[in-house]
Amino acid sequence: MGPMRRHRPFAVAMLATAGLITVVVGHVTAVPRTPEPSHALVEAQDADPAAGAALFRTSCSTCHGTDGRGTDHGPSLVGVGAASADFQLRTGRMPFAGPRGTQPERKPPAFAPDEIEDLVAYVASLGDGPAIPSVRIDAELLSRGQELYVGNCAPCHGATANGGAVGGGSIAPPLDRATVVQVAEAVVVGPGQMPAFNFNEADRNAVVTYVDYLRTAPNPGGLSIGGIGPVPEGFVAWAVGMALLLAIVYLVGREWARVGGSGS
Amino acid sequence: MNAERWVAAALLASMAASLALVALYAFTPGNPQAEGALLAVALGGVGIAIVVWAAALIDAPLEEEPWHSLESPAAEREAAGAAMADEAITRRRFLVRLLAGAGGLLAAALALPAFSLGPEPGRDLFVTGWRRGARLVDEDGAPLRVADLLIDGVRTVFPEGAVGRPDSQTLVIRLRPGDLALTGDRAGWAPEGVVAYSKICTHAGCPVGLYRAEARELLCPCHQSTFDVTRGAVPVFGPAARPLPQLPLEVDEAGFLVASGDFPEPVGPSFWNLTHDAPDAESEDGA
Amino acid sequence: MAARWFDERLGLASWTRSGLRKIFPDHWSFLLGEVALFCLVILVLTGVFLTLFYVPDAAVVTYEGSYAPLQGQEVSRAYASVLDLSFEVKAGLVMRQVHHWAALVFVAAIVVHMLRVFFTGAFRKPREINWLVGIGLLLLTLAMGITGYSLPDDLLSGTGLRIIYSAVIGIPLIGPYLAFLAFGGEFPTETIISRLFVFHVMLLPALLIGGVLTHLAILWRQKHTQFPGGPRTERNVVGRPFWPTQVFKSTGLLLLTSAVIALMGGLIQVNPVWTYGPFDAATVSAPAQPDWYVGWLDGALRLFPPIEFTILGITVPTVFIPAIVIPGILFGILTLWPFIEPLLTGDRETHHLLDRPRDNALRTSIGVAGLLVFVVLTVAGGNDVITLVAQIPVEGMTEILRVAFFVVPLVGFAVTYRVCRELQARTDAPRPRAVRLRRTPSGGFEEAGDE
Repeated sequence: MGPMRRHRPFAVAMLATAGLITVVVGHVTAVPRTPEPSHALVEAQDADPAAGAALFRTSCSTCHGTDGRGTDHGPSLVGVGAASADFQLRTGRMPFAGPRGTQPERKPPAFAPDEIEDLVAYVASLGDGPAIPSVRIDAELLSRGQELYVGNCAPCHGATANGGAVGGGSIAPPLDRATVVQVAEAVVVGPGQMPAFNFNEADRNAVVTYVDYLRTAPNPGGLSIGGIGPVPEGFVAWAVGMALLLAIVYLVGREWARVGGSGS
Repeated sequence: MNAERWVAAALLASMAASLALVALYAFTPGNPQAEGALLAVALGGVGIAIVVWAAALIDAPLEEEPWHSLESPAAEREAAGAAMADEAITRRRFLVRLLAGAGGLLAAALALPAFSLGPEPGRDLFVTGWRRGARLVDEDGAPLRVADLLIDGVRTVFPEGAVGRPDSQTLVIRLRPGDLALTGDRAGWAPEGVVAYSKICTHAGCPVGLYRAEARELLCPCHQSTFDVTRGAVPVFGPAARPLPQLPLEVDEAGFLVASGDFPEPVGPSFWNLTHDAPDAESEDGA
Repeated sequence: MAARWFDERLGLASWTRSGLRKIFPDHWSFLLGEVALFCLVILVLTGVFLTLFYVPDAAVVTYEGSYAPLQGQEVSRAYASVLDLSFEVKAGLVMRQVHHWAALVFVAAIVVHMLRVFFTGAFRKPREINWLVGIGLLLLTLAMGITGYSLPDDLLSGTGLRIIYSAVIGIPLIGPYLAFLAFGGEFPTETIISRLFVFHVMLLPALLIGGVLTHLAILWRQKHTQFPGGPRTERNVVGRPFWPTQVFKSTGLLLLTSAVIALMGGLIQVNPVWTYGPFDAATVSAPAQPDWYVGWLDGALRLFPPIEFTILGITVPTVFIPAIVIPGILFGILTLWPFIEPLLTGDRETHHLLDRPRDNALRTSIGVAGLLVFVVLTVAGGNDVITLVAQIPVEGMTEILRVAFFVVPLVGFAVTYRVCRELQARTDAPRPRAVRLRRTPSGGFEEAGDE
């Protein structure tokens, strides 16, 4: 009876601290990651296909073949275009480092930017393929971009571009770290399991504008707890809501059991 | 006393929060975080005050009261029974039965307006907006040629004139002709490697919005039913039991993709008489 | 003075006195039902506010509010009104979020309260009726939740409505007829939103409040149960009077419950319908889940194998068993439990004293098994989110969970039963054993055995 009385303020303070910690942690983890800075368009006159060819021979030909026509370990790169090579190299997906048959993952690029430019120029020279798309963020296109994104991208990448499982061992990744050019390249190329989309330039800019918006979109309701819908919301309802209420019920209920004699 | 200080502090905190709420609402609205936090303090302050006050300041020893059986004494039960059973009612069993029958039928009659709530299904579940010769158009209404479709790309299309009609939503996917493995007549339904399936999942009706281009499999996000595009959208994983119905396609003289007819079976989830009605694939309006 | 005025007209003095003096047993776990009740109070208060702004109309308008990504788009009036509530109405967003969090916590509180009642055997005679009323309230609450979160007519909840429609369509013989009646035609219809509104703000709340009052009235009449021990017996109620103790306790709890929900409503975002976009029958976003209390149903739909068959010309669709039959069985057992248990244990006595969970190993084990069934199904409902977060392939998880659906509850049953028996053996003090003694010829004593 005595000890419970003495510990009551402590218990209350603990509850308050737990709540505060939740809030602080939530805010900290909810900060959106900033994407890498956009790189200049690679129409660079100083890209050297010959240097690219040399790099290709040492770093890529084991899987993609000495002439880029593919082997058992890697597909042909004839006709994939500058867009595809640029995307894969700048996001670090290529060179592929994972177990065979798994999805290539974003990692720090293995090459310096000028090396990438050279490689891209070489791969582009192998055949006709999509060039690196020009990208322009245009606030006027935000609404059109939302429409296109929800219709074409949200089923895999999620309504808030936080990523999604697409089965077969593949994940549609979150889009918070891709640059706007990389987003446009992926839309044009359809890397891996992603299909390619035949948007015109305005629509492509619209989609990119919306993806860019999502990265910095405010969450007016507070902590976004993942932005992936009712699953984390249900978890929070139990782990925060019911947990706090159970603690309160226990404190309030026990209080009376302690007053005036024998409790249960 | 410790308890009094707690109560006073809690009430003061609550008052401050309530005043702050008024100021917030009047001068800087649009801040849900502050609104919620202040409201919590305002409510919680009074709550803590009441709890502490009652725990520390109200003397409440345990008390006891007896528990009597809930069952009424036999005499009471008999009296209640006797009160209800008037001979004028109990002796006329035939009339009572007629009354019950009339009441039942009356209740059924009164329930009739409930059937005004919706139309009979009729053939609605068996037909869509697709007809022979209907051009495939995208969501902006533009008709499509084969060249407009990227290989391994997927588009959502509707019949021309019925853009957005929910039962007619269709996926069109262009593959290299050699990648398709359709059997029988179906092989002729995919000109130049362009194949079309209903977008409505045959499991529970969600739009099958995900496409794994390399695997050539459509995935429904709701319950992960997976369909193989190369073999007539047969389900290869998940709870769907029926393939996605395939829309027969051809290319018209102007080079646009058109439907050769409606889907050969009902789209969407199965229902009890799904195999009973075979829509005429040749009819012009399919109604 | 005022009391005299009322008494001259209503004559309630003695009723008031006995009511205020009524004794209620004290245990913290008896407050769980009150937490649920207070969530309902919060829901009604915030709900009234929302009703004054929400427009239950599926007609299409052009959105011209302050949320830029939807500017100029065609959305339903219902969806637009919810966006307005979130962005244009002062305190609108916090009211919406408090309402939604209160709903999520409301169902959780009911479940915890129901588990307390179950595991302590409080549903036994004479309280079977109140158990039935309680399960009815649980079902009404689920219906309130589903109708409520579908009102904004957003892409996520609209997809859920489609699934419900498909489940109804799948009922043999009457399915399509029933679905067309309920929805007003083939999905999606113009009328479904306004119909859900009528259910959510009028019909279901009337039943819910009537049910709650019945629940409380029966409790008042039968008196609350109590744990054994101390002065408590089957023939008395030991506790503290309604006034002032219980009223103060409950009022404090009401305010503290409201405080917790207000905190969540302000600090944690919930149901951000502007990110999902308006409902479009040809579009879907992922991940696609309903609110947590329907997650078990979605999980059942994900796990059930693609079994579709035809009997006597009647096709039984693959959704029928997981969406209609399995929930029917689970809730049927739950509802009828007060009548099933006496068949298993033979105990048909009146009980006012509660069991500790360990005291009835069979009930507790079955309860744990049943709970684990729901837990497995709920986890299955979030399988693609688990894949995204924990990198477990979704196909493999589905297979594992299909097995877990059977194995986990069985193991849970066995383990719980064992634990209960152990606890019983440990805490029950060894009873003194009576023995017969007889004198031996040499003068000592020995046990005589049974004679």
